Amino acid sequence: MYAEANLHDTVEDAQVAAAVFIDGKPVNLAGGDVFEASTGTESTLLLNKGYYEGSYSSTLPTTGLSDIFMEVVHAPIEAREDRWYPVDLVNIDPGPGELVGTSATISFPPDVIVISPTEPVTLFSINDTIELTWVPAGMGDRMRALVSVECSDGLSFSRYGVSSEINDDDGYEVLNLSDIIFDSSAGSPLLDFISGTALVLLQDLLNELSAGNIDPDFVFKKTEANPAESNCDIRIFVQRLREGVFDDAFDSGSVTGGRSTEIQVKYSPAVLFSN
Amino acid sequence: MTSAIRTIITVLLCLQTQTVSADKMQLDINYLLTRFDAGGNDEFSSNKAIALRHNYFFKDWLATDLGLLATDQAYDETRQDVVGYYRAALQSQALMLGMKLRHRAESPYEAYGRLGLQYWRTELEVEEYFNESIPGGSTTVDDSGYGYYFAIGGAHYITDRLTIQLEYLHMMQLDLFEDSSSQPFDLGINALSVGLGYQF
Repeated sequence: MYAEANLHDTVEDAQVAAAVFIDGKPVNLAGGDVFEASTGTESTLLLNKGYYEGSYSSTLPTTGLSDIFMEVVHAPIEAREDRWYPVDLVNIDPGPGELVGTSATISFPPDVIVISPTEPVTLFSINDTIELTWVPAGMGDRMRALVSVECSDGLSFSRYGVSSEINDDDGYEVLNLSDIIFDSSAGSPLLDFISGTALVLLQDLLNELSAGNIDPDFVFKKTEANPAESNCDIRIFVQRLREGVFDDAFDSGSVTGGRSTEIQVKYSPAVLFSN
Repeated sequence: MTSAIRTIITVLLCLQTQTVSADKMQLDINYLLTRFDAGGNDEFSSNKAIALRHNYFFKDWLATDLGLLATDQAYDETRQDVVGYYRAALQSQALMLGMKLRHRAESPYEAYGRLGLQYWRTELEVEEYFNESIPGGSTTVDDSGYGYYFAIGGAHYITDRLTIQLEYLHMMQLDLFEDSSSQPFDLGINALSVGLGYQF
C-alpha cells in the first residue's frame, strides 16, 4: 500500500491519495473494497480514480494536526454511490477482498514557513537558481518539492510535474531551474518527472487550488512546446514529509503525511525577445 | 398523488367502455425509436418499441386513447468506477389511457395530439464485472407505478380508412423503486414513431 496525505497552507481540507501494488504492479481494488481515510470526527472514501491504474484520491476535512487513519474497507453500496440507478437495491457483492482490514496511520509534520522567496520570482535563464530558505523544524522529517510546470511558446503548450528531494530540513536549499525546465531539442530530459501517489496528490492539490478549473490530467506529461524556449509558469510546492506507521499485519509500501506551501516562479527565456 | 391518478384512470376507462357503442373507432400500430433518460449520468443507446392503440371518437375531433406499449431492452454505456465495470439496462411496458384531439383539414392530412396517464412496469438489469479473480454477474429487479404521457403527430390518409402516421411521444414514469430503495429515479422515454391506422 502506498498512501500520502497533504495539508496545504491555504487549503482547509487534506488531499489524500493511495494506491495498491502487488508484486510491483499497480492493481485496482474491486468489488466494493475502497480506501477510507478518517480522523476522529471525519471520514471519506477515496472514490476518485487517480491518474494511473490502482490509484485513488479524495479530500478530507481535518482539524489541525489530527492523525489520519487509512484503512481498506468493504463498502459495496457507498463505493457505487456515483451510479445513477438504485445501488442499494441492485448490486452484486462478492464480499470483502484480501486487502480489507489493511491499515496505516498518517501523522502530519509541522507546517512549512518559507522565509524567501515570498513573492513570485521571474527567471530568464535555464541556468538560474532559486535560493530557498525556510524555518527548519529539526524533527527528523524530510523535505521535498513538487513542481507543476505549464509552458507556452505562443503556439503550443507543455505541461508536466517534477519532483525534487530537498537534502535536509536545515532551512536552506538551492533549486536549479535546470532540474525543472528542460530543453527538448537537446535529447531526452533527465528530470525526475512526478509519479506514483505524489502525482495523484499534486493533481488533486492543483484542482483544489483552482476550485476545479483545471484539466483532470494537468500534471500528465505533455511536451509540445520546448520548455527551454517558452514562457513557463512554475508552481513549487515545498513539502515537509513525515513517515506514517503501518498496522502490524502489513508493512509493505510507504505511508506519508505532508504539509506544504507554494512558491511561484515565472520563466521568461531571453531567446523569445531576440531578433 | 397515486390515488388521484388511479381515479383519473378509472374515469377514463369508464368513458372508454361506456361510449363504445357510438360513432367511430381507430386502431393504430406504431413502431417506435426510443431514447431512455433516467435523469442521472446515464447514456442509453436508442432502442425499439412497439405500440398498439385504440381510439374511440365521440366527437370528430375528440377521442379516448387506450394504448399498450412494449420496449426492447435499452442498454446504458459500459462504465468503470472504483468497484469495477458495469452496464445497466432497462425494459418497460406501459398501459396508456388518455384523450386524443385531432384536426382534420380538407386535404388528406390531419394533425393530432394525445395526452394521458400510464401504468408502467419497468425492469432494471445490471451486469457487473470486477477482475479475473472476482467473478461478476447480473441481477434484475422490477417495479411498477404511474406516470403520464403526451404526443403530437400527423397522419396522412392513404384511403378513407387507412392512415400512415408520424409521431413524437414523451412518456414519464415517476418514482421508480421508491418503495424499495433510497435512490429512486424518474424515467423519461422519448420516442419517434411511424405507424399505420385503420378507422372503422
